[in-house]
Amino acid sequence: MHSYRRSTRPSSFKTYVDIVEFEERPVDVPEEVDNGKVEPNLLPGEIKIAEANNVLKFAPLKTNKTGISGTLFVTNFKVSFVTSLPVDSKEAELHERSLQSHYLGVHDVCLSEVDLVYQISEGSTKKKRLLYNAPLPARVSGLQLVLKNLRVINFSFKFTPAGEDVRIGQALLHHAFPPSIDHLFLSCGHPSPFTGIPEFCLAQDWEKELQRTRCPNWRVSKHNEFFNLCSSLPTVVVVPRDLLDAQLEQAAQHFQGTRPPVWCWGALGGAALVRMAQISPNISDKISVTKSMGTLQRRKLEEESQQQENRMMGLVHRCHPKKLQPTIIDLDQKLPSLKDLQISYIKLRELHTPDDPTQFWEQDRHYFSRWESSRWLSYVSKCLEVAQNAASAIAHHNSSVILQESEGRDMSAVISSLVQLLLDPQVRTLRGFHSLIQKEWVTLGHSFCLRLGHTRNQPEEQSPVWLLFLDCVHQLSLQHHAALEFTSEYLLALWHASHCSLHSSFMFNSVNAKYSATAVLQRENPQQPVYLRPVWSWWAEDHDWLGGEQNGSSESVKGRRSAARDLFLNVHYIQNLMESLAVSGALGRLRDPVSSAHHTWHRIQYLLGDSGPLPYDPNAPVGPLQIDASLRVDVALSSLKPWHECFSGWISEPSVTINEIDSLSRQSTTTVQHWEHVRQIYYTIKSHLSETLTNGVAE
Amino acid sequence: MFSGGGIEKRGISKAVNKRSSSRRSSSSSTGSGSTSGSSSGSGSSSGSSSESGRSNNSGSSSGSGSGSGSGSTPLGSPPHVQMASHESLNSESKSSSLNSKLGHESLTVREGTRTLRPDEPTLVPGEHMEGTAREVTYLCPYTGPKKGTLSVTNYRLYFRSPETDPPFELEVPLGVVSRIEKVGGANTSRGENSYGIEIFCKDIRNLRFAHKQTDPLYSSQHNRETNMTVFRRFRILQNFGVFGSGPIYQENHSRRMVTEKLLQYAFPASHKLPFFAFEYCEQYPENGWTVYEPIAELKRQGLPNESWRITRINEDYELCETYPAVWAVPAAASDTDLRNVAAFRSRGRIPVLSWIHPESQATITRCAQPLVGVSGKRSRDDEAYIQHIMDANAQSHKIFIMDARPSVNAVANKARGGGYESEDAYQNAEVQFLDIHNIHVMRESLRKLQEVCYPHIDNAHWLSNLEATHWLDHIRCVLSGALRIADKVESHKTSVVVHCSDGWDRTAQLTALAMLMLDGYYRTIPGFAVLIEKEWLSFGHKFAQRIGHGDDRHQDEDRSPVFLQFVDCVCQVMKQFPHAFQFTEDLLITVLDHLYSCLFGTFLYNSERERMEKEVKTKTVSLWSLILSNPSDFENPLYNPATRHHVLFPLTSMRHLCLWDKYYCRWNPSMRPQEPVHIRFKELLHVKGQLERRVDELRRELAARQTHDSPRVTSAIV
Repeated sequence: MHSYRRSTRPSSFKTYVDIVEFEERPVDVPEEVDNGKVEPNLLPGEIKIAEANNVLKFAPLKTNKTGISGTLFVTNFKVSFVTSLPVDSKEAELHERSLQSHYLGVHDVCLSEVDLVYQISEGSTKKKRLLYNAPLPARVSGLQLVLKNLRVINFSFKFTPAGEDVRIGQALLHHAFPPSIDHLFLSCGHPSPFTGIPEFCLAQDWEKELQRTRCPNWRVSKHNEFFNLCSSLPTVVVVPRDLLDAQLEQAAQHFQGTRPPVWCWGALGGAALVRMAQISPNISDKISVTKSMGTLQRRKLEEESQQQENRMMGLVHRCHPKKLQPTIIDLDQKLPSLKDLQISYIKLRELHTPDDPTQFWEQDRHYFSRWESSRWLSYVSKCLEVAQNAASAIAHHNSSVILQESEGRDMSAVISSLVQLLLDPQVRTLRGFHSLIQKEWVTLGHSFCLRLGHTRNQPEEQSPVWLLFLDCVHQLSLQHHAALEFTSEYLLALWHASHCSLHSSFMFNSVNAKYSATAVLQRENPQQPVYLRPVWSWWAEDHDWLGGEQNGSSESVKGRRSAARDLFLNVHYIQNLMESLAVSGALGRLRDPVSSAHHTWHRIQYLLGDSGPLPYDPNAPVGPLQIDASLRVDVALSSLKPWHECFSGWISEPSVTINEIDSLSRQSTTTVQHWEHVRQIYYTIKSHLSETLTNGVAE
Repeated sequence: MFSGGGIEKRGISKAVNKRSSSRRSSSSSTGSGSTSGSSSGSGSSSGSSSESGRSNNSGSSSGSGSGSGSGSTPLGSPPHVQMASHESLNSESKSSSLNSKLGHESLTVREGTRTLRPDEPTLVPGEHMEGTAREVTYLCPYTGPKKGTLSVTNYRLYFRSPETDPPFELEVPLGVVSRIEKVGGANTSRGENSYGIEIFCKDIRNLRFAHKQTDPLYSSQHNRETNMTVFRRFRILQNFGVFGSGPIYQENHSRRMVTEKLLQYAFPASHKLPFFAFEYCEQYPENGWTVYEPIAELKRQGLPNESWRITRINEDYELCETYPAVWAVPAAASDTDLRNVAAFRSRGRIPVLSWIHPESQATITRCAQPLVGVSGKRSRDDEAYIQHIMDANAQSHKIFIMDARPSVNAVANKARGGGYESEDAYQNAEVQFLDIHNIHVMRESLRKLQEVCYPHIDNAHWLSNLEATHWLDHIRCVLSGALRIADKVESHKTSVVVHCSDGWDRTAQLTALAMLMLDGYYRTIPGFAVLIEKEWLSFGHKFAQRIGHGDDRHQDEDRSPVFLQFVDCVCQVMKQFPHAFQFTEDLLITVLDHLYSCLFGTFLYNSERERMEKEVKTKTVSLWSLILSNPSDFENPLYNPATRHHVLFPLTSMRHLCLWDKYYCRWNPSMRPQEPVHIRFKELLHVKGQLERRVDELRRELAARQTHDSPRVTSAIV
């Protein structure tokens, strides 16, 4: 969808070179490439591996006839396409709203983003999937990359000098699907700026969280210090106060993945939110003699596990100040399995990566029923429903909730995070949301590497649990569009960021895995310090790593960043903050440090002002929990909407019109006006404040 | 303490709410009238004397009457939006319970100035009560049965139940009613609420009322005549001030009375009665009948010019009775040519100009199918005429003939004497078929859609059920057809001739939508009125037939939601370009509500000629009077006037269309559509104003303190 001005018609504007034009010329042409040697922009530590000249890049669905010409590189970090031709406006816009735009250029793709590689050939619709170890033919006429963010890019090697095509294909297949995570480009040699987001790897982080939620009778245990208790949990965990470390160790053996139940959040009334694994059906991991074990022995072990589980539940029960029964929710029963989820995702991937316009329109005819048969929305609905029930158990019945799941690392992260979003207004702020993800997903050990398929191992374990969670939050933001401090564009940016290897937050299976990968990198290259950068550092980042680009000046970086900030921050949330200042007398109390107006103003200043790069005060203590502002979410399927920006964001509709100027501006321009007014309000109040301040000084 | 900050509080925003204007007392003076919509606060305060608070609503809101200040409906939607079919809770609970305690439970039938009881609706000028039935149960599909009072006026049905707090109110203009059925027999029905009536509405809902069942012993004592006259007797009794003498009759026969009155006033055409529009006598400051002047509109487009002329050849509607009086035709074609072409086009509907591109002079012309027939007849005049249209545009040596039908249908029409232009006969013309199905397919699709949307949604299969209705499929076809026309005219600078079979259904959809995309004028409030007046009303879309105004033949094959489909398409474009339209969705919903309501004369009858004959312009009020008199209710705060010079090319794939749930699912309380951005924006402007005022106050305070301080200093010096 696009509109344009009639008077300024850019009819001479020509982005795409018709391939037919090339065919008329002798083979080795595209003149744009002739002027000197082209080089990709390399980050510190990045190495160029292969290069192919005169490659044509095709935009998806723009009928295979038009493409832009350039040089394709594969480095140890990215697939880089270098061209001097102007960029498609939609691509540029989507690039700017990503969290890795300072690592990657418009035409660059991080290697870990690559999901599937196909070999395509001119004139035939057949394509062949290439696995990492696939032998390549002598001549590759084209490659199709399907990225994990459902973007499709076609490269044609029709004019590429022989040999280069195969080399680049091999390099791509080899480096995009590494055997282990430490083969990825994880560090660019610079420390991350301070973000103020706790990593939940220190006892004090958890203690602060316990204090904030004022949840009594729980304690921080450091018993996992050397990951001896459980390798997928952090070194510190919160357990019932009455549970001794020795008992904890004993109990852990009886749970899958040796993960004992851990506290993750609590409410003021004393109700706690606990994540617990299922008990081990057979304790084969620890006892090697399983096979020779008699049934009697087996039964005895099972009984013992059962006892341990009961004891743990009893302890949770006893932790409750009013000794109320905890609610146990078996997520394995209520929610789809990881397999189902992956099948659903694959169906959606098929639906949203059409090869040509014919296929696009064919799919479009049954678009809605295909969405339904993927069952994705019904999974979203189920998650929201379970979270809603758990939240109401905590909020209305003051009952502790135990989320039980096989290893307690996947769906329990989804539900636990959603419950906190529904109940805790703090979590709906950017800082709170970052902390939440750090706590529930990164530190408590969601297997990002395995589930997102960052390596070539165990492809059967892939499952988009993380995306499911983001979609749930997206639905929440649709239904309560002023409740979250961030927008669904930010959620989408997080989804895309989780495939970029330089964002360390989403690369590892656990904290332990991160430590060992760092150690490996350090050992390989002892001179260079290894710095992993959490995704949150984007907000504090003021450096553009792609210095070579002509638009790499720090001002344009700032401009781009503030444009992206406007997209990521929810203007309606800020509007609500401002509404609360419109109450009579509130403005007069702005400088009274104990008033709520003062705090609101403080936050507005961080969101809109120039107090610093972060949209929050990284050093301020986090406010205490207030549970009165809980959200309700409508889980009926008819109330949930397919997340088009996520699933079909990269597809541009094959259009009948020739004046094809895509614009994504329809939604953003509506908020542009919003932002303008919000800013005006901000400056009015600010100038008023400075006036009173100078006058006050004069007095 | 840090986090709170009143984020979730939504209190102050409600002040923007300006619905439920306080009514002007005294109804008779309709002089300058017309509520400005500026008053605020909720309806009438729960005073002891409800009479003074609410008397005849002289304002524009024409029956949105007691439109719930309780905020159950989205903020800021104008009263008119809810009016035609308003179902919401009322805030005036206290007065009602007070009155019912006093026992004034009887019929009031008065006209003009009258006192009102709380269980009666606020009447619009020209409306009068026809009857009231008590102890009727409305079987709400969502919130369960409610007992209350059902009133019928000559304009609407009104139900009010004091059972809930605030009381439940339901009002439906009788024009919306498509069918009334009795459910259960007086003596045969068993079980609670099994005896009553069911009302099927044109606006995607059905209403069921249960009447108290007659005691069989009791009813046998009364003969038919008594039943028939109950209403009249009551009226007399009432006028003589005798209260409460006949509740027995009333209870026993309420269903018959209600049904009869409903049938009479819902289907005036079938009962040889005038439409309510002819009795409605509201006065508006703006006269909507003047919004569209054919000559003025053609002048706006730059006509006449060297290649196009304006002709009054059809002034008496003789050449083509379904066309308007004024046409714009190629200057090269003489009046004789026009007559000859008319003979070759179905019903004399020859190609006439709809729109001309201000720069390229490419045009959109519309017509009916050529009378080709099985034998493949040709008309030299028609061929020359099409050539004239092409020649009028110097930029292109080609012309597109867009046949809205699927090609199979176009071929099939040859058997009935119709058909399509053969490219052999028409030089330089390219015929394209747009695959839009006929009115019967559309009617069936809407019927399915209603099944899916009302009353309950099957959540598990919502998307596939929606797809199975094909409603969005048809919307997509219409939209992409219009897009193709707009693209040919704008990007290829080529003229387009559009037709279907008769050129009054699909053709109107296509030309109007293409014009909406091409010309920003039609995206303003008056421009949209002009578009509908021109492309739909003057060119003879058969509204009376397609809607079945006042007609009780609910199974009439000629009915079809063609216009609804057009409005749906407009809404789809609007959602893709939220700042390109001067008006909001609310305007579209209001137009649709009054498409059925028969409150205004605008949509009555089939053609300009019929409307002239019935003197619609002098005897009824135009819908545009209401809209143009209350522009603030429909204005889109996000509208950017600079977009007037933009051409809109909407995306037309399924994934970019969505069901217009604010219209189709509006009765379902569980389908709460997202709060529209424009309302949020209004709130923001309000907050901004408030904050600026507060800052000013503080500044003044500060200044006052300083001046208060300084005199002391000066006095000390002196």
